[in-house]
Amino acid sequence: MEDDVSNPLRRMSSRTRKIAPKMAAALASSDNRTQATLARLEALENDNAGMETVEPIDDDEASLDDDDDGYVQKKQSKSTKRKTRQAKALENARKAPRNFLELLHEANLESLPPHVPSYGKAAVGPPSSTCRRHFCTVCGFASNYTCVRCGMRFCSIRCQVVHDDTRCLKFVT
Amino acid sequence: MYTNNNKPHTPFHSTATICPFSDMSNVVVLDNGGGFIKAGHGGEREPSTVIPNCLYRPLSSKKFLHPSPTSAADDLTSAAIRRPIDRGYLINPDLQRDIWNHLFSSLLRISPSNSSLLLTEPLFTLPSIQRATDEIVFEDLGFKSLFVADSPKLVHLYEASRRPYGLVAKAQCSLVVDCGFSFTHAAPVFQNFTLNYGVKRIDLGGKALTNYLKELVSYRSVNVMDESFIMDDVKEKLCFVSLDVSRDLQVARRRGRDNLLRCTYVLPDGVTHTKGFVKDPDEAKRYLTMMNRNAQPYSDLNQGSDRPDYAEKLEERKKVDLTKTEFDLTNERFLVPEMIFHPADLGMNEAGLAECIVRAVNSCHPLLHPVLFESIILTGGSTLFPRFAERLEMELRPLVPDNYQVKITTQEDPILGVWRGGSLLASSPDFEAMCITKSEYEEMGSARCRKRFFH
Repeated sequence: MEDDVSNPLRRMSSRTRKIAPKMAAALASSDNRTQATLARLEALENDNAGMETVEPIDDDEASLDDDDDGYVQKKQSKSTKRKTRQAKALENARKAPRNFLELLHEANLESLPPHVPSYGKAAVGPPSSTCRRHFCTVCGFASNYTCVRCGMRFCSIRCQVVHDDTRCLKFVT
Repeated sequence: MYTNNNKPHTPFHSTATICPFSDMSNVVVLDNGGGFIKAGHGGEREPSTVIPNCLYRPLSSKKFLHPSPTSAADDLTSAAIRRPIDRGYLINPDLQRDIWNHLFSSLLRISPSNSSLLLTEPLFTLPSIQRATDEIVFEDLGFKSLFVADSPKLVHLYEASRRPYGLVAKAQCSLVVDCGFSFTHAAPVFQNFTLNYGVKRIDLGGKALTNYLKELVSYRSVNVMDESFIMDDVKEKLCFVSLDVSRDLQVARRRGRDNLLRCTYVLPDGVTHTKGFVKDPDEAKRYLTMMNRNAQPYSDLNQGSDRPDYAEKLEERKKVDLTKTEFDLTNERFLVPEMIFHPADLGMNEAGLAECIVRAVNSCHPLLHPVLFESIILTGGSTLFPRFAERLEMELRPLVPDNYQVKITTQEDPILGVWRGGSLLASSPDFEAMCITKSEYEEMGSARCRKRFFH
């Protein structure tokens, strides 16, 4: 992890990353595990979870693999005034619809007087009992063990091996 | 006590009494859900059209398309989706305008300029979103007038009209539990108004459950992360609510035919079938033989599986058909809906549905408590999981004081419950008077108009 940070030449994706306030808080916190759970919960509200690379607005990029000759020609002629990737990304960010959490942040509901019911106050709040059942992340059955590195659960050696091989630390970056 | 409304259709009597279909001014009723848009004409019993509230792009296309109401025509395999609604609220007005335009012009075939619109909006919609909605309705589409309602109130209205002598109608009060696509609300309704200080919300709905199922299946067997529509279908067909999780987990662990929960789903191959299907529907229903935890032990149940034809079938099923992509589900079938009852298991710091209901009731006036507990109405697509109501009652009973009754009513068609309430309201004679008209909107603007709806 340190290597990535120290290497200034590493090419970063120009794709704009939108981060919800909750996520941002989690990223700032040093606790990797809360970070991982929040990221996971965020992912559950995602529409196209499997297609993170697909940018719905960016039509030019999506059709690059089109082997239509005329299209490629046109593309080249246009290439002189082609915007830089960064400019394009910025433009997309402006056009892109905003996340609900951003809108919520903007609405500034905290400024309302305390007796007014609002979105934030309607949340059900934490459960009365803190006991939580744990299920093995590999097979789904009741689990007794926690991965010491990433905090995910597993129930047996067999599942531990699978976990270590496939996705240990996957959600903790 | 748990009652089910799945009786043969009672006629939509209340429309007959309220609305004699005399001045059929066109009222379009639009239940704009995060998952599905339910739209139709006021006064009718069924909405004219139910379409997913999204645009989708199949693999074969470069453009995003409008889903057709008969989704059988579309090839939804690996389709990318764009939804105008995120976490239940409108975040992309441009996209929503597109979808509504398509809906009104090609599906409902109405002209907005001489129709009124009854639109549902989630509770606690932010003012900025309300403004955006009003802009679409009046400025882009040009509706004559608009009425905005919240869904619990409409569900209450519908249930009260269905049984004019029932408790809901007589006490004029109910607790509507709306477990929809984006979130779950427990909302007390009193005298046809939602008591918004009592509303409690869990941030879990059908979308999160589908995504959770996707995640589990993708990790354990086949990668289905980009198959939202297919996994929706899997969820609807195979998931159920467990009445005893630890017991069901044990059953799910068994091997071979003792495992009453294992079930295979065949993914579409795009050639012979474009829809996924459950390989053996009988197999999928076997869990129903396991009744309540104290009803009967399992040993009896397994006897049935010793019949030769059964064994033969099992052999056949065991053969892995290499021409098809399929996956097995076992404990996922009940662990997915389980999250609504225990969001904490997922790592969410939120109480489960039963506790959510109790908190919603407790925030109301104490005199209302007994009545609210006795008139819980379940609505929303996610309540369609088999045994949802039984499980809810099981969890709720210990949390409610002994001397109160708990009665949970399920709707006959929970997805359309809100729409039907809207249709009923739209056909009431003083509906036009409650609307805000276009000229009022132009004169006063969105915020002041909205005051009329007490939001």
